Amino acid sequence: MGAIITLGILGILILYVGLYKAKNALLPVTLLGLVVTLGFLVSDWQKEALPLYNGMVIFDHLALTFSILCVLVTGLILLLSKEYFNRISSNVAEYYSLIIFSLLGAILVNAYHNFAMLFIGIEIMSVALYILVGIRKNDLASNEASLKYFLMGAFSTGFLLFGIALMYGASGTFDLAALQTYVATGTDISPIFYAGILLVLCGLCFKVGVAPFHFWTPDVYDGAPILITAYMSTVVKIASFIGFLRLFSEVLVPLDSFWTPVLLTVIIITLFVGNISALMQSSFKRMMAYSSVSHAGYMLFAIVAIGATSASSILTYATAYALASIVAFTALILVKRKTGSDLFESFNGLAKRNPWLAAVVTVAMLSLAGIPLTAGFIGKFMMFNNVMGNYHVVLLVLAAINAAIGVYYYLRVVVSMYFKTENENAGSDLPIPTNYKIVLTLAALLTIIIGVYPDCLIGLL
Amino acid sequence: MTIFTKNPVHSVLYLVITFFTLTIHYILLNAQFLAVVNFIVYMGAIMVLFLFVLMLLNLNKESEPMKSNLVKIIGAIAGMCLIATLLGAFRVLEPSNEMVAAHADIGLVKNLGKVLFNEFLLPFELSSVLLLTAMVGTVLLAKKDVKKA
Repeated sequence: MGAIITLGILGILILYVGLYKAKNALLPVTLLGLVVTLGFLVSDWQKEALPLYNGMVIFDHLALTFSILCVLVTGLILLLSKEYFNRISSNVAEYYSLIIFSLLGAILVNAYHNFAMLFIGIEIMSVALYILVGIRKNDLASNEASLKYFLMGAFSTGFLLFGIALMYGASGTFDLAALQTYVATGTDISPIFYAGILLVLCGLCFKVGVAPFHFWTPDVYDGAPILITAYMSTVVKIASFIGFLRLFSEVLVPLDSFWTPVLLTVIIITLFVGNISALMQSSFKRMMAYSSVSHAGYMLFAIVAIGATSASSILTYATAYALASIVAFTALILVKRKTGSDLFESFNGLAKRNPWLAAVVTVAMLSLAGIPLTAGFIGKFMMFNNVMGNYHVVLLVLAAINAAIGVYYYLRVVVSMYFKTENENAGSDLPIPTNYKIVLTLAALLTIIIGVYPDCLIGLL
Repeated sequence: MTIFTKNPVHSVLYLVITFFTLTIHYILLNAQFLAVVNFIVYMGAIMVLFLFVLMLLNLNKESEPMKSNLVKIIGAIAGMCLIATLLGAFRVLEPSNEMVAAHADIGLVKNLGKVLFNEFLLPFELSSVLLLTAMVGTVLLAKKDVKKA
């Protein structure tokens, strides 16, 4: 609870700091606020998890771990953002406060215990993002992305809300615990409840961006400023997944014969569409967008094969994915600054110019592809293990094929860094600011540490 | 009438009538709050917005996007499927829900306030954050025009 209040106040405080033109104080204040939030979250760890405020929010271990993850990832992204935002616009304070508000929404989604909170959380998260995506006001791509995201987001919200309304109509409650008893005890579950499940599923699938509803992802990820893309593909995606997981694992498990086929279809389409489209891309950023679609598909494995290990496997996978994405997008910022394009070719010869950066990006790519000794491998392994336990053999085979496709396009980046020479002799190596160095090293190290010693993460849940 | 009128402005005006009858329904169902909100927000604000947008867009025959028949048919089939599914779900419902029937005055403003400030206090307060976010965003995005000029 303290975390929510802190973030709310922090956002407003940042707006005031911006008002008084104290630009240098912005980043320290924001980071300090995040640290305080983190403190509140960690201190809640030992407490018994009870639904607070008439069952509106619950800070159990699931919510806490993922909130901590979200806060940490946001912190990393904010560390990178200082000069990046200064470059693209003058209203830096608003960026910080919008990101903080969006984080607040993400935490609400992590910790919701009532559909009203889920809805408000998702809305806060997305409304802030609609604006952040369109933050480069003079850039047509950014405007287009923002508008598309807004329209799609409005549609998905509509689906979600209609679904929630139908579920309420059937059960007469918004509360997850009450819904749980309704589903568990009721032999006569009303048909509108099923319609509600489907619509909520649609709405949430929009938000996490899986296949039949993924059309906004590439354009939006492409048009948004790179750091916002990084934020969207990590924090927002993680939070939406937890919303998904909490609803399905706490409430809808008894009805799994109803929604499992739907979700299976969604996953298979997602994997193929995501991976095959990623294969076709020539732009690194679009490749990352499609790969995020396919990663969303992998993360859905945990929901299809729901069980005791679902939460921890999503945690591992999401952490691995978030760390690797941050590294990838940071590298893209640096490379783009140098070459001015985000095609694969701009990575050519990076190993010669800057061996260290190339090495870090390689670690990230290997992690995304799921090569052993990186965090991504552990994440994929746990996901596949889940599915194996439920004997979805066909799904497993398809997933393995897709993982193989994935290796190809991730390694393309590595190949162009190490084995291709630069087209024109640019000469000078690209300078890397210290904060970028810190974030990159931290993320790469964590990736390897989790890859070698995954128990530190799995043991949490 | 809303759908079949050729003139978009007339169409909007017919929509206002539809909403007005809907409001009367709400009053008949003893739902004051919904009626008032429907009256003010939908008929007042949103319809005026619609009219403004229509006038700004200046729709006419030439600028109308042409849709192929195939798209129309596919759209119709998809829409019908959705309607059939939802109707199928609604059909099995017993029309009188004992929850609603037990609280005849559930739609009064007084009850709404009680619920809003007791049970749903937290979401209510947090929606202020949502509005603040939207406000910051609007100002941020709208400022562009001032700068450019």
